[in-house]
Amino acid sequence: MHNTNNLIVSMSPHLRGTLSIEGMMRTFLIGLIPPAVMAIYLFGLKSLLIMVLSMATAVIVETVIERLTKRTPTYTDGHALLIGLILALILPPSVAWWMPVVGAGIAIILGKLMFGGLGTYPFNPPLVAWVVLKLSWPERMSVFIAPHTTDQVLTPLMALKEDPSLFYSYEIGDLFLGNTAGPLGAVCAVAVLIGAAFLLYRGVIRWHIPIAFCAGVALFAAILHSINPDIYPPVVFHLLSGGVLLGAFFIAPEPVTSPVTVKGMLLFGFLAGILTMIIRMWGAYPDGTFYAILIMNAATPLFNYLKPKEYGSVKRA
Amino acid sequence: MFHPIHFSIPNAPKIPSFLFKIYLTNGISVMYEGADFLAHVVNTLTEERKTMALFRKGITLKTKTMAFTGDPIVPPLPSRVMLPLKHAIGEPAHPVVKKGDTVTVGQVIATAPSRTSLPLHATIAGTIGEDSEYLDCTGTPIPSLTIDSDGGDTWDTPDNEEKALSSHTPAEIIERIHAAGLITTHLASVPLAGDLMPMDQPKTHLIDGHQITQKIDTLLITAFDKEPSLGVNRYYAGNTTEDLADGITALKMITGAPAVRFVVDTHYGPYPQLKELVAADEEETTTITSVNGRRFPIGMAIPVIKAALGREVPLPFGHPRDVGVALYDISTVIAVGTALRTHLPQVESLITVGGGALSQTGIVKVRIGTPIREVFEALGGFHTDPAKIILGGPMTGMAHYDLDVPVTKDTEGLFALTHDEIQLAGDYRQCINCGLCVKVCPVNLLPGVLSLYCVNDKFDMAEAEGLFNCIECGCCDYVCPSRRPLVHLFRHAKRQVMEA
Repeated sequence: MHNTNNLIVSMSPHLRGTLSIEGMMRTFLIGLIPPAVMAIYLFGLKSLLIMVLSMATAVIVETVIERLTKRTPTYTDGHALLIGLILALILPPSVAWWMPVVGAGIAIILGKLMFGGLGTYPFNPPLVAWVVLKLSWPERMSVFIAPHTTDQVLTPLMALKEDPSLFYSYEIGDLFLGNTAGPLGAVCAVAVLIGAAFLLYRGVIRWHIPIAFCAGVALFAAILHSINPDIYPPVVFHLLSGGVLLGAFFIAPEPVTSPVTVKGMLLFGFLAGILTMIIRMWGAYPDGTFYAILIMNAATPLFNYLKPKEYGSVKRA
Repeated sequence: MFHPIHFSIPNAPKIPSFLFKIYLTNGISVMYEGADFLAHVVNTLTEERKTMALFRKGITLKTKTMAFTGDPIVPPLPSRVMLPLKHAIGEPAHPVVKKGDTVTVGQVIATAPSRTSLPLHATIAGTIGEDSEYLDCTGTPIPSLTIDSDGGDTWDTPDNEEKALSSHTPAEIIERIHAAGLITTHLASVPLAGDLMPMDQPKTHLIDGHQITQKIDTLLITAFDKEPSLGVNRYYAGNTTEDLADGITALKMITGAPAVRFVVDTHYGPYPQLKELVAADEEETTTITSVNGRRFPIGMAIPVIKAALGREVPLPFGHPRDVGVALYDISTVIAVGTALRTHLPQVESLITVGGGALSQTGIVKVRIGTPIREVFEALGGFHTDPAKIILGGPMTGMAHYDLDVPVTKDTEGLFALTHDEIQLAGDYRQCINCGLCVKVCPVNLLPGVLSLYCVNDKFDMAEAEGLFNCIECGCCDYVCPSRRPLVHLFRHAKRQVMEA
């Protein structure tokens, strides 16, 4: 007879699924490989340096702070790596080497640990760092280079701010394949979509926020474009330019800062898309994606009030 | 991983020379004749779509199937049984025997003070031993009687006055069900007689100031189990007896339900005996609905009514009869028919025995009161150290540390899980707000938010958020990436609120 003296007693359920925080973060990181590889291909090894510095700083800062504050170490769960990588991918390719370092530090300290770590922060940490960098060094954060060169060029959205009719000079194919200027990971739409398909397949993100986000952008763009096609670019231009796809599939659906209910997620994504377009059209910044997501993050607790229908309401016979 | 049980249906049509073998998603193969192939595919697709439209929540457990064929395993009679005097929340039964009395199988050894408790019958022949007590899964001491076997199997002779079923009054049938000691386990484990009693009275609701009278209009019979890993009701659905028709007639008489609906699992079947029953019904009030039984918790009371009829039982504390449904397992219905025919009490039950620690798994016909150790031994014992012993199914059952506790009437399964199969909650992490629990919750709660109230002792706020609507299926717990012990927290909070 086998040993039956050490039986475990605990509450049901006795089976558990296989999804863990570590697995979720790993999936996110794997999903970010295509944009990261494209960034290295388009902008050279310097982009690899940016990513490595950002990720390394994030992990080191998290470890040090958690040691100092005597918290349970969480650097092994991969979340710090993810913050570092996302931050690197939304930076311009021509940033100085110390900017991802400063940014990753800010993301971990101000964005994540200040609020209690994974699960409690109200704003997306990489976006917090991105905003701090953007406000502190606006010139350095607005310099973009063309792929495979060191020539300073305007991004499609910056060009649009200068002269609305310039959008005709951009080929949709170039936007799709990443043959334009822009943030490291966001320029190549096809790479982002491949990564996003992986995330959706593995179930770590759900379709509601990304699709609603794109729908918000597309609807707004379609209305404007139908009003005056000469100065308002078509829907595809808006979807493929700037950080829309990266934001919609990798940043907005980030679990901690997005709503949990279906209705909430749909409205969250849709409003973020609309807000992106409002900032693009009438704001001071060329691309409003990251600001829009940050603003909607602040409203996430409100979206969670959009609860599913209460079960068991007795219908009138 | 974890092994549920797969039955082949003995009465399935003979396999023709040309056949299609359809591999369903989980590796189960079903054989069909050529012409049936397309019909089956179309039926399955439309049925599943219909079910999914009504019931989208829940999870599909990652399970590997294992073939199980043939009759239930019958272990040798136990040398000693322990019979609990108290069943669930009912009052304890009053013993009518004393130590040293000789009893035969089926003899009444304790009488029930009311319809909400159960009379107790001897399940083996022998002499009454010392009064005893054991701790159930919740740690509550349960007073019980013991019988030491005399080695034989002498049955008590029932007062078998022959009387046609149609000449019984509903009250007589309830009396017979009560005397047989039958239970139903759908919402909670309660005596069947007590559950049936209010059924002849139409239920009145006050909705928006209007009095709505709800009569029972459907007798819903589930032909699959609460959990995909359990298999007793699937076994009964493939091996029905004439008692099923009698049971249905009796329950229809009591509840006044004009229609009968079987709910079967799409992945098993085709259940020719049930189809015959449907075909035999000339008034066409008997129907079969098939649902995706691999979707947990579609077999539990609240979701199955939603999936089969689209009705939502009012929560909390609602009962299927509130929405005009009398919900019973096919095993319960057959037991009613058997009790009416033979006038014998329930002394044995079929249970599913499984888990990776056992060398053999299957359906076991066991006398009530048998220590669970003997059930495991009858199946060849463990081939590796078990980590957890579970009474009930692995998603909703309760763990116990003691192998000497008896099998009771509400034990539906016994599982011996290994360390690889279970995953301990251990150090859980902060809720990361991923929303997977909201996605799977069958009763539309926000389990993550509820758990935050519960860990911070805000029980009143948890109650306002619908804590008592929780049916404790464990889906949220299963999917949680932070490994939060959600069901544990909710049970704790419910208890705190109840005791406050």
